[in-house]
Amino acid sequence: MTDTTQAQSDPYGATTHDVDEDTPVLNAVGGDWDELVDEATALHEERIVVNMGPQHPSTHGVLRLILELDGETVTEARAGIGYLHTGIEKNMEFRTWTQGVTFCTRMDYVMPIFNEASYCLAVEKALGITDQIPERAQTIRVLMMEFNRITSHLVALATGGMEMGATTVMTIGFRERERILSIFEMITGLRMNNAYIRPGGVATDIPAGTIDKIRETIPLVRKGIHELEALLNENPILKGRTVDVGYLDLSGCMALGITGPMLRAAGLPHDLRKAEPYCGYETYDFDIPTRDTCDAYGRLRVRIDEMHESLKIVEQAVDRLDAGPGPVMVADKKIAWPAQLAVGSDGQGNSLDHIREIMGESMESLIHHFKLVTEGFRVPPGQAYAAVESPKGEMGCHVVSDGGTRPYRVHFRDPSFNNLQAVAATAEGGSVADVIVAVASIDPVMGGVDR
Amino acid sequence: MTKFLSGLAKGMATTARTMTTHAHTQQYPHVKPELPSRSRGVIALLEENCTSCMLCARECPDWCIYIDSHKETTPPTTEGGRARQHNVLDRFAIDFSLCMYCGICIEVCPFDALFWSPEFEYSTTDIRDLLQEKETLGQWMPTVPAPEPLVPELPQTEAQQLVVDVEPEDDPAAGRTTKRGAGEVPRPGTEEQP
Repeated sequence: MTDTTQAQSDPYGATTHDVDEDTPVLNAVGGDWDELVDEATALHEERIVVNMGPQHPSTHGVLRLILELDGETVTEARAGIGYLHTGIEKNMEFRTWTQGVTFCTRMDYVMPIFNEASYCLAVEKALGITDQIPERAQTIRVLMMEFNRITSHLVALATGGMEMGATTVMTIGFRERERILSIFEMITGLRMNNAYIRPGGVATDIPAGTIDKIRETIPLVRKGIHELEALLNENPILKGRTVDVGYLDLSGCMALGITGPMLRAAGLPHDLRKAEPYCGYETYDFDIPTRDTCDAYGRLRVRIDEMHESLKIVEQAVDRLDAGPGPVMVADKKIAWPAQLAVGSDGQGNSLDHIREIMGESMESLIHHFKLVTEGFRVPPGQAYAAVESPKGEMGCHVVSDGGTRPYRVHFRDPSFNNLQAVAATAEGGSVADVIVAVASIDPVMGGVDR
Repeated sequence: MTKFLSGLAKGMATTARTMTTHAHTQQYPHVKPELPSRSRGVIALLEENCTSCMLCARECPDWCIYIDSHKETTPPTTEGGRARQHNVLDRFAIDFSLCMYCGICIEVCPFDALFWSPEFEYSTTDIRDLLQEKETLGQWMPTVPAPEPLVPELPQTEAQQLVVDVEPEDDPAAGRTTKRGAGEVPRPGTEEQP
């Protein structure tokens, strides 16, 4: 069902009054497309503005693309964001420092561990305890982050492939991701939104049998990635759709502040894991894959290569975890919360030792527990910025403390948001179909863009 | 043409190969998924352990726990003794339509009254039915997995040996460890390095 209305009387039209009153508006609400085409041709106008999204299967999540088309060519592309605003940053100002983790992990839901890691590193920097974090906690963080990097890249490839119509890419990608998510479930109890990394360390140690399970899983994941490579790398259809599409060269990337695979596909081997190591990344042996094609195909290849590098890091981290147990939370009991977590009956909760002490032996311990839990720890006044190399680029967190038990402000520099600025640069001048490929190669996740 | 034929043959070979292999579909209601013991399906309540201290309700990031309680006075058991007051739990409810499954309530509970259970089959057709009262929460207690061995890598005697051997003064991790008898097994994570 379609009808031609004037911009003024269009209930679904733009509310910003940036269109003239007499601009004709065509509303497509499903139904007969022939009528719509007839009406559009009757206008004798080649230049049309199309809203792609926010409810469109090919834009990641609720991204709204405002495209000005001249026939099939995109003459202007703008990204409309804000449809998934959750107020997470504001909410975190009203929760203790530890509770904040459960919120920020939900920002970019494809890479929860990186959200937590950047936040916790920033809080630790503000506390000045960065060098007191136990070795084992750092290794577990690296392990989780690299696994999460693989899942994020798999989602990027899977959804990108699906948007181009290749469902096999999607099924393989999500199948391999599932293997890693089951490891996440084994370690943290949740597949996503784990809230596992905490200021001071990680919530609990890995349970028994995890190392064996990871060692079983790595070859399977590697095989799956090889399968994806065989399917994608030299596929003529894929190359036809991606080579020289979404072109953005190095100077363009630098001007727009692009990081991550997009920057590395433009030839610059910039990776915070090497440039500004954190969590002990300087002690791991891995390479930074780059390409110099500056296009969607190069970004895809960079992501595939990075997954192999991540598996290399995972193997090294597992060997270190296998070497022996150790603490996973900072020794300072005024910060360490959950204070005495142990592998209890359900794998989580307070250990029986701890309960015996606070209930039967030490009233002071019980008071400390209540104080630490209800009030939380205090962070000295000041601010700190910590950045991690997320699968999408530089994931930064800026925390400001006024000395209280809650953040004064937490701001995240989410790479999806910054990289999304490249939509205009990569999509303009191409055809409508290439917009999909260009946006897919940026790999924005709207939960991270809007926060 | 030969390229086309070879491609076709390859495709048919793949079809023939996968035709005989078993489907990976899990027949869900008949075959239950194997979930790890840490899996967060639902929160179970051990009512006897709850002292209505409200810690979980206060710390829940989205305040989905509701607790009502009243005080009861027990008369003194001995002549001239003091009457004692204790809390009685009237209502303990978790609204699973709000719950984020973050597990903070379980971590903060100082009396170990809350547990994770991998049980997940409690979906409803009405969102209001997701508000589960203490009776239902208690029914999930039997589904809580049995305790894992605390140090699975080490046999019991060896683990005991470890604790006895370590001199607390020299150990950097000693600050974290609580007063612990030699008979108790150290937990992974807080365990002393040999």
